[in-house]
Amino acid sequence: MSAFVLIPRNVCIAILVAYRTVVSPLYGDVCRYYPSCSSYTLQAIQQHGAVRGIWMGARRIIRCHPWAAGGVDDIPSPRRTMTTTRLGFVSGAA
Amino acid sequence: MPDIVGLLMWPIKWVLEAILAGAHWVLESLGMDPFSGLVWVLSIASLTLVVRTAMIPLTVRQIHSSRKALEVAPEIKKIQDKYRGKKDQFSREAMQRETMEAYRKAGTNPFASCLPLLIQMPIFFGLVTVLTEANRGNAGVGFMVTSLADQFRAASLFDLVPLNMTMQHGFEQGNVPVIITAVLMTLIMCATQFYTQLQIMSKNQTPQMKESPMYKQQRILLYIIPVFLLISAWAFPLATMFYWLVSNLFTLVQQLIIINRLPNPGSDAALAREARLARKRQRMGLEPEETDAPAEESAPVIVNTQRQQPKRKTTKSQREGGGK
Repeated sequence: MSAFVLIPRNVCIAILVAYRTVVSPLYGDVCRYYPSCSSYTLQAIQQHGAVRGIWMGARRIIRCHPWAAGGVDDIPSPRRTMTTTRLGFVSGAA
Repeated sequence: MPDIVGLLMWPIKWVLEAILAGAHWVLESLGMDPFSGLVWVLSIASLTLVVRTAMIPLTVRQIHSSRKALEVAPEIKKIQDKYRGKKDQFSREAMQRETMEAYRKAGTNPFASCLPLLIQMPIFFGLVTVLTEANRGNAGVGFMVTSLADQFRAASLFDLVPLNMTMQHGFEQGNVPVIITAVLMTLIMCATQFYTQLQIMSKNQTPQMKESPMYKQQRILLYIIPVFLLISAWAFPLATMFYWLVSNLFTLVQQLIIINRLPNPGSDAALAREARLARKRQRMGLEPEETDAPAEESAPVIVNTQRQQPKRKTTKSQREGGGK
């Protein structure tokens, strides 16, 4: 896969990784789902790309409220799985 | 894009203006000078109180939810025993998965979701825009009419500290009272934030919570929060800082009440509460019959810890059975 196609999602991933290391720990574990909303969005962007990933993440955040049952809620399985580096950046299709 | 944001913010701004103008009107009716800074500070304080009081049901719901989570405790304990000593990423993930599924099946969840936090952001952002508009002498979207906006623009606390100034303005114009007020408010905010966090972390968390890597990160960041506060004090007008300050104090008092009355089951605060109740019963005299209910409450906890052993034995025998 061309590296250019992966630029938007990797930019989003960089922002999310920064958020998850700096801002998330400020208020601790609060998510009613597993994986947490930010982790879900990160995986969604990695596997489905920036546009669909952000859309899925936004819907998940709306789903996560004090009246939700919570539980395990994984991302929809992608058509093809992407390989990620140790930091979470997408390097290409598996 | 700004139009969409503006459209979304409109109802929030309308409500904020209604509460601000309402509080201002009440204080004016009570005989206070509508042009004084104190009236505006009190109006903003009442706005904070209204907003935070409206959010109390969310907090209470969460406390009851974590109380109910105690019923699932034996099952959670079982899952934790299963993964005891396994620190690798996959085991941790599997453990969290099973824990969350157990909570969902029991119809309870000890986590608050980020909604209580998210909800406050548009409110604060709305307040900043409402006050900025008023500062320019413009009418707001609803009750914040031009005359009120002018009053706000001229408002100065004790005729010394103009409320529309930021710490930055204070330094630029060499306004010592503004600098002193801004610094003092930042210090109080840092102190309350720090104290609240420390109370939650040292007293209201269970040993399992303290084992998580998140907890250690939280401890480090506790010392970074004051820096963020200082930056916001630099950029936001004093009037908006008062909102934040009162909100912080509200959180602090609320948290102290929670720690005292409804501590997280299994935390140090819960143990302290049990000890406190036990001492109180002793002081009340020798009335063993009245202590029935609390004794029943503490008894299942002991039974739960004892039950671990038979459970371990069964898993072992299952393993032996599987081996044969």
